[in-house]
Amino acid sequence: MINIIGKRKYTYIVSSILVVASVFILFFWGLKLGIDFKGGTLMEVKFSQEETPEGTPENNFSEEKQNEPKEFKSPSREEVQEKVKDLGLTSLNVQESQDNVVILRYIGSDEDLNQKVVEKLNEFEGNVEMLRVDFIGASISKQLKQNAILAIILAIIGIALYIAWSFRKISHPIASWQYGIGAIIALAHDIIITLGIFVLLGKFFNVEIEASFVAALLTILGYSVNDTIVVYDRIRENLIKSDRKEGFESIVNKSIIETIARSINTSLTVVIVLVTIVLFGGESIKYFSLAILIGVLVGTYSSIFVASALMVSNYNIEYKRK
Amino acid sequence: MSIQNKIRLKFALVILLTITSITIAYPKTVKFIPPVFEFVNKAKINLGLDLQGGYRLEYEVDTSKVEEDKKEDAVQAAQDVLERKVNATGTSEALIQTVAGTPPRIIIEYPGAKSAEDLKSLIKETPYLIFKEEKNEEEQKAEKQKFNELLAPNNEKSRQSAAETLQKIKEGGDFNALAKEFNQDPGSKDKDGVLDFVKKGDLVPQFDEALFNGNLKNGEYYPELVETDYGWHIIKKLEEKGEGENREIKAQHILLSKQTAEMYRDYWIYKDTELTGKNLKDTAVVFTDQGVSEPQVQLKFDGDGARIFAEITKRNMGKQVAIYLDDEIISAPTVQAEITAGEAVITGNFTVDEAKELKRRLNEGALPVPIKLVSQQSIGASLGKVSLEKSLKAGVAGLAIVGIFMILYYRFFGFIATIALFIYSAMMISVFKLSGVVSDWPITLTLSGIAGFILSIGMAVDANVLIFERIKEELRDGRNLGSAINEGFRRAWSSIRDGNYSTIITSMILIWVGTGFVKGFAVILTIGVVLSMFTAIVLVKIILQAIVGEWISKRLWLVVRKK
Repeated sequence: MINIIGKRKYTYIVSSILVVASVFILFFWGLKLGIDFKGGTLMEVKFSQEETPEGTPENNFSEEKQNEPKEFKSPSREEVQEKVKDLGLTSLNVQESQDNVVILRYIGSDEDLNQKVVEKLNEFEGNVEMLRVDFIGASISKQLKQNAILAIILAIIGIALYIAWSFRKISHPIASWQYGIGAIIALAHDIIITLGIFVLLGKFFNVEIEASFVAALLTILGYSVNDTIVVYDRIRENLIKSDRKEGFESIVNKSIIETIARSINTSLTVVIVLVTIVLFGGESIKYFSLAILIGVLVGTYSSIFVASALMVSNYNIEYKRK
Repeated sequence: MSIQNKIRLKFALVILLTITSITIAYPKTVKFIPPVFEFVNKAKINLGLDLQGGYRLEYEVDTSKVEEDKKEDAVQAAQDVLERKVNATGTSEALIQTVAGTPPRIIIEYPGAKSAEDLKSLIKETPYLIFKEEKNEEEQKAEKQKFNELLAPNNEKSRQSAAETLQKIKEGGDFNALAKEFNQDPGSKDKDGVLDFVKKGDLVPQFDEALFNGNLKNGEYYPELVETDYGWHIIKKLEEKGEGENREIKAQHILLSKQTAEMYRDYWIYKDTELTGKNLKDTAVVFTDQGVSEPQVQLKFDGDGARIFAEITKRNMGKQVAIYLDDEIISAPTVQAEITAGEAVITGNFTVDEAKELKRRLNEGALPVPIKLVSQQSIGASLGKVSLEKSLKAGVAGLAIVGIFMILYYRFFGFIATIALFIYSAMMISVFKLSGVVSDWPITLTLSGIAGFILSIGMAVDANVLIFERIKEELRDGRNLGSAINEGFRRAWSSIRDGNYSTIITSMILIWVGTGFVKGFAVILTIGVVLSMFTAIVLVKIILQAIVGEWISKRLWLVVRKK
C-alpha cells in the first residue's frame, strides 16, 4: 500500500508555500476588481468593413490591400486610446480581442460619458457594432459589494454548521470538532490558493474579479467540503471496524487509499465539464468556470493530501502530550 | 405483484419518462406525427437577454424628498411614464418592473436587436416637473443662516487675500498691476478696476462713505479695507471735479468678492409641493397677445392636480410659486389670486420652437420624481447568438467526454450512467420549457444558467461514481452482483445526500443574496442537483435492476477489472 500519510511533510511544505505566497500577493497586489465592484463601464466593440460597392476608391489602407484584398484592419489599441483620450476616462483599459473586437473598460462613469464614448468610437471608419455594453453605477456596485460580503459571511456560517452536523457522530480517538477544524483549514487552503492564482491572473493578464467570482468561491466551498467529509467519513468507519492495535496513522492512510478512486473520479467529471466551458464556452463564463476549476483541483488535492494528514499530525501531538 | 413485475413496471415508467422528456426537449424527434410535434413545439425555452440579445436598464428613483406615504404613488407614476416611453418604441415584449428598496429601482428589460441608446435618450429627455412654494419665514431664516455658514470659510479666504493685497500696496506695490491680477468686480475687471465718475450716493453706502468723506487726495488710497455686500474693496481716488451737489469723483478699486445666501435664494426659499408631472393632463403652447408676443406653455392638470393647485395658490397669495423643470427653476410667478381652473402657464422667455419642444416633452409624460440610470447591460443580438452556440457546444462536449470517461472506467455501469445522464439532460431541458407552461415562474435561461447546467452534468455522475465504487468494494468483499448492487446503492446514499446538501446550501445563499448572473447560475445548479439525484440514484437503480441478471454475472469483466 502506498504510504500517503508518511509523506505529509512534503505536502505540508508545498501547501504552506502556496498559502503563504497567496496571502502575501493578496496583501501586496490585491485582486483586480472589475466594474461590478468599482462601478464603471465595459464596452465590447466590433469593427468591421463597411459594406461598400466594389471598386469604391478607398485606398487609405493600400498596404493591407496588397497583401489581403479583403482583410479589414480594425483600429489598434493605441488608436482607440488616442481617440477617447480627450474624454479623460479614469483607469481606461483597452484590450484587443479576437475578430476585430476591442474591449474598453473604465471606472466611475455616467450615462452622458458613455454616450460620448460611443460617439467617438463611431468616428472610426467602417462598421462599428456595440456587441456589449455593461454599465454599473456607483450605487449598484456598492450594493453588489455588500451582497458579496453578505454571501461570503452566510456561506462561512452555513458551511460551518454543515460541518458540525456532518461530524456529530465521530468521537474516537479524536474529538469531532477537531475534524471540523481540519475540514475548515482545508477549505481555507483551497480558497486562499484560488484567490492567489486570481491575483496573479489580474496582475499579469488583466483578469478582473466580478460578482460571479464570489459565486465561484461559494461553489468551491460547497463542492470541496464533500471530498474532505467523505475521507473523514471513511476514517470513522475504519476506526469502528479496527481492532485498536492498528495505529491511527495507518487507519487514516488506508481510508485515503480506499477513497482515492472516488475522490479523483468525482472531481474528474466536474473538471471535464469545467474545462470544456473554459475552452469552448466563450468569454463571459470563461473566468468564472476557471475559478471553479482551480478551486476544485486544489480542493481535491487538499482533501487527499492535507485534510487527513492534519488529523494524523494533530493526533500525534496529542498522543505525545499524554 | 411479484418483485419481478414491480421492477418491470418501474422500468416501463422510466422508458415512458425518457420518451416524454426527449420529445419535449427535442420536438423534432416526433416530426413524423405532426399534431404531437405542433403541440410540444409550442413550449420554448425562455432565453435571457444575454443569449437572445437585448438590453436591461436599471433606473434609480430618487424619492428622498417625497413623504413616506406618497412614495409608492410617485414610483408607480414614474413607472407609468417609462412604460409609455417603452411602448412608444413599438414593442410588447419589454418587461418593466419596480424593485422596492431604498432607493427603489425601475428595471426595463428589452429583448431584441434594437440599440439601447434610442430608448435611453427618449427616457433621458423625460422632464421632471415639480411645483415649489416658499418656505415659511422661520424656515427661510434658518436656511439662509445655514447657507451663510456654508459660505463663511470661502468669504474669510477672500477677506484675507484682500488684506494681503492692501498690505502689498502699503509696501509700495503697483496698484494697477494688483488690480489687474486680483480685481473680481465684473464691471471694472477689464479696466484694471477703474470706475467712471460718480456722484455722492451713486454707490453702495460703505464705498460712498470712504470715497467722499475719507479725506483722500487724488492718487491716494483708502488705508483700510472697505466691506460692502459685494465683498472687500481697496479704494483709490483718481480725480475729482465739480463742487457741492455736482462734486464727482473718479476712483479705482480692487474687489475681492464675497458670496451671500441671498445670491442663492432660489436654492433655499422653496420647498416641494405635491404638484408634480404626475398631475399633468395636457399641455399647450399659447401666446400672451395675439400673434406678436412671446409664447408660453400652458399646463392643464388632472382632477387631483387642479385641487392641489387651488390649495397652493390659496395659501401662497402674494408669494412666489416656482415651477421647476429638471431641477432648474424656469419660472417663479407671484400668485395674484386663487386658481381653481386647474391651469397654469410657464413664461420662460421661450422662442416658439423651444415652447413647442417643451410642450412635446411634457405631453409625452413628466416625472414626479427624478430618476437616474444606474446600470445598463446590453448585448448585441449577434453576440447573444454566438454565446448560445458556444455554450451549447461546451455542454455537448462536456456531456460526451464525461460519458466516454464513465464508460471507459466503469464499463457497463458507466454505460448505464451515461444513458441516465442523457435522460437527465433531456429532463432539465423539459423543465426549462415547461416551467412557464405549468407554473407562473418561467425559468429564464441565461449564460450563467447554462454554466450551472453544464457544471451539474459533471456533478450528476458523482452520485454514480460513489455508487459504483461502493459496488466494486462490495464485490471485492465477496458479495454476488445482485446484492452488491443493492448494498452499493444503500451505502452510498448517505454520502450522496450529504455531498449535495453542501452544494444546495451555498446555492441557496447565492439565490438569496445574488442578482443577475449569480442568481441565474445558482437557480439552475440547485434544480440540477436535485434532479440529478433522482436520475443518478432512482433511474440508474431501476435500469440496473431490470437488466442485470445471470448473463452479466458470467461476464463480470463488464463491471470490474479482472484481478
